[in-house]
Amino acid sequence: MQAKPEKITAIASKGTPFARGTRRLSAAMLFFENMVKIPLFQCQRCGECVLSHTAFVCSQRCPKRLRNGPCGGTRPAGYCEVYPERRCIWHRIVRRSKWMGRTAFLCRMEKIHNWDLEKTSAWLNVFTGRIDPPTFFLRKKRMNDAERKNTI
Amino acid sequence: MTLREKIQSDALIVTAELGPPQHGDGQSVRKKCNHFRKGVDGINITDNQTGIVRMSSIATAVLVSEEKLEPVIQMTCRDRNRIALQSDLLGAAALGIENVLCLTGDHQKFGNHPEARGVYDVDSVQLVAMVNRMNEGFFLSGDPIDPPPKFLIGAAANPFAEPFEFRLTRLAKKIEAGARFIQTQAVFDLERFRVWMQGVRGLGLHRKAAILAGVLPVRSGKAIRYMKEEVSGILIPDTLIERMDRADDPKEEGIRIAVEIIRELRREEGVRGIHLMPVMWESITPRILEEAGLIEETKH
Repeated sequence: MQAKPEKITAIASKGTPFARGTRRLSAAMLFFENMVKIPLFQCQRCGECVLSHTAFVCSQRCPKRLRNGPCGGTRPAGYCEVYPERRCIWHRIVRRSKWMGRTAFLCRMEKIHNWDLEKTSAWLNVFTGRIDPPTFFLRKKRMNDAERKNTI
Repeated sequence: MTLREKIQSDALIVTAELGPPQHGDGQSVRKKCNHFRKGVDGINITDNQTGIVRMSSIATAVLVSEEKLEPVIQMTCRDRNRIALQSDLLGAAALGIENVLCLTGDHQKFGNHPEARGVYDVDSVQLVAMVNRMNEGFFLSGDPIDPPPKFLIGAAANPFAEPFEFRLTRLAKKIEAGARFIQTQAVFDLERFRVWMQGVRGLGLHRKAAILAGVLPVRSGKAIRYMKEEVSGILIPDTLIERMDRADDPKEEGIRIAVEIIRELRREEGVRGIHLMPVMWESITPRILEEAGLIEETKH
């Protein structure tokens, strides 16, 4: 697994306020978005979707809503500290990322969540440039020897 | 020497942990300070650890610095949103507190107010980045801070919790975000710690931040059993539990185990110091440091 972090460019996105019409459009789009995202990913409607970085497991299902990795309390065998009957969501993300070959996405720092986007349509937010677009395909990079040493 | 100077130099660093009391009487904090007079470079003041209400960490830190000791305040994301975090940090800077340890915080479910609303507005990696940005002279919103605070930023790492392979990535992220010292979870399983340190050295992280290995002295077989079963994120080998059970004087055995672990940790390349966590047993600090031979070495 690659462990070299990416350079941090921005730690929070500057939020632009919603116009009234956009809120309505967002609510309408959210209706359809929910039909897809809730059954498939148990989407928590944070409006700032990072599913493509977390191997399509919603990180917002974590009781602490962590966006940058697991807290220090994960139980043996990868169960959640708060709800012992559930698996730690970040344990699942890491496992799925490895399976899908998407671990490079876990090395970037996710921005601080903009709570104004809560319960808005992430699809519309991408379209209006409020959040970064999802990255579906990872460009394959040939590793040199030094970089291969840095992967574990 | 301050903690910042110590980290920049090559000297051994020893930090210890002080839990604030569950009442408003400052005298007990001052009394506890006496255990940390010799050989300790920084005193971590916990921030409502395990979600139990205690004296505020900044207020306790002021009491500690009045006793001429250097505090390290812990800042957790459980109780404050980004506005409160930044305002508390400015207040801490004004009171002369320079060291901050950025943590996510234990979930409120484990505390004495499990019904409380957890905030978790930012997470620990983002908090490190946010404090770093304040050092650069900007609030999170981008508004300038003039003059900017000068915090020494620390972060925590847990080499023992699942998913093991991702823990190094997360540590690397924290260091990239601006952490300058790292305090680890209590080490009992030296094998696992050595594997983790190998990874740390492989990435060169020990050169970018000072790694302080956590040591937690236990006082009874019951306590160590409780930690193994109830406290998640700590790995305890069965041999240690057996040793504690068999001992005639469990307290002495606990001290011996802590001293042995410290000696082993000091041999590990890349470990810059020790972070002692005498939970509810602060009075034992001088003895452990003395027996592990740390007091002579930290003299300056």
